[in-house]
Amino acid sequence: MTVEQPSKPTLADKLYDFMFHNYVWKSVFRTGYPNTPRNQMLAVATNVFLHLHPTRLHRTHVKITHTYCLGGLSFFMFLGLTVTGILLMFYYVPSVERAYLDMQTIEAQVQFGQLMRNMHRWMAHAMVILVFLHMMRVFYTGAYKAPREFNWVIGVILLVLTFLLSFTGYLLPWDQLAFWAITVGTNIAGAAPVLGPKSRFWLLGGFEVGQDALIRFYTLHVIGLPLLAAILMAVHFWRIRRDGGLARPL
Amino acid sequence: MASAVVARPAVRPQARARDEEVLVWPDLVFIEFVAALVFTITLFALSFLVNAPLLDQANADLTPNPSKAPWYLLNLQELLLHMNGAMAGVIIPTIWLGIMAAFPYFDREQTGQGQYFATPFSIRITVVAAFIGVLGTWVLIFWDSGKIAWALNEWFGLSGGDQLRFLETARSIQNQLPWPEWSKSIPYLPFNLKLLDGTGQGGPTTFQNLDLPGWIVEQGMPIIFMVGLPSLMVWAMWRAGWVETRRDALLAIMSGFIGAYGVLTLSGTAFRGQGQELVFPWDLKVGEGLPGQE
Repeated sequence: MTVEQPSKPTLADKLYDFMFHNYVWKSVFRTGYPNTPRNQMLAVATNVFLHLHPTRLHRTHVKITHTYCLGGLSFFMFLGLTVTGILLMFYYVPSVERAYLDMQTIEAQVQFGQLMRNMHRWMAHAMVILVFLHMMRVFYTGAYKAPREFNWVIGVILLVLTFLLSFTGYLLPWDQLAFWAITVGTNIAGAAPVLGPKSRFWLLGGFEVGQDALIRFYTLHVIGLPLLAAILMAVHFWRIRRDGGLARPL
Repeated sequence: MASAVVARPAVRPQARARDEEVLVWPDLVFIEFVAALVFTITLFALSFLVNAPLLDQANADLTPNPSKAPWYLLNLQELLLHMNGAMAGVIIPTIWLGIMAAFPYFDREQTGQGQYFATPFSIRITVVAAFIGVLGTWVLIFWDSGKIAWALNEWFGLSGGDQLRFLETARSIQNQLPWPEWSKSIPYLPFNLKLLDGTGQGGPTTFQNLDLPGWIVEQGMPIIFMVGLPSLMVWAMWRAGWVETRRDALLAIMSGFIGAYGVLTLSGTAFRGQGQELVFPWDLKVGEGLPGQE
């Protein structure tokens, strides 16, 4: 009877050891490269970013056609928008005198400025669409049912926040498209009975779209609404975990 | 029975067999990575190819015609053309968001979760309701734009004459019917809205006057259409035996909503030209009008 002998370490094995089994790597990740089930679970459980996930999940939940990754992709858009948004903030000043000129500068003179701006805009559109599709997915899979009722409610609020984030960003380029879209949009809000004119005034900081509206929209767009959305997203994701992951047949 | 006041039966996710499980690393993390990669590459490509629009600097004196809200609000702007502004712009969306948020509290049945189309007739309900939502919305838009009357006249030579002129659009019900004078100004509650306008002092209490024909066109009919037609649809589906549970009813309502919402967004975005006239997308041009003239 022959007993299988461990093979001599190849060059690849040595390289692997050198890269992942050293003092520095282990100080960062604790586990080696996750190539055993135990290490794979540890990698997920001990990493602050990955630990949003459980360590194991049901087979049906990795079927693409079950979720189409829509929720995750919405979050990914949020992250991408944060990155491109921060880059844009370096160059953009929310003042009526400068805003439009800054946009032109970003497009014409900043290295990759046009690309950054394009990314930010297309990702914003993508996020609105993805969030809506995610809501449809959750609805059609009946995933709002107990015990996830309240998480659905949070989702509806996040949908509204997504619209508001996109809407407040729409004014910032300070071009004709921005100005009149916000004028029309806030006129719609102003049509509300009793509270309408007040809420429009409060939103614009005046009776028409001007400097006060620009600074309000900017502040809401870059800090107020993202902060609120981030908090609600944290609750949203946390509750998914607490409620046993994705919904599946009883 | 003692079990009467249980808010929610305690259903815990049941234990699952180990062989039904996969590990998050690598199975899920890999999928997420690929999805993120695909979107990153696609969006980069899109951003290289298509520039975000930047028009002339904002000018409060130069109103584009048509002036439009961002595309995801154009459904509301489309609604606005057909009814009272407060209703279309604020009341209906607010109520609808409330209704949507209340879905799980209306449909408390726990079975059928985590599955697409778990009830026997769900696919049929979804398809038919979405179709009704799409078709019904287009028909109402065409009617209220006078296009149906125009088509009957132009293409088929049919004319209702002056007798039926009031059916041309929603507004013609107000304009073309011989409403008696008194109906255009009916005093009702001495309700003083000036108390709420922030000045803190109410004006003299006066009777509000209701313009009944205007109210019917701006508020009455839209409410009847928007509450009545979906209710009728769910009722018909229930009578037909398709809708058996609350989940089925929600499927019908949500699918109808998605159909109607899609049509409203599309029509507001691609079919509304100068003066918010209904035009084909290829005839859509933006001109410059005078302030307020849109």
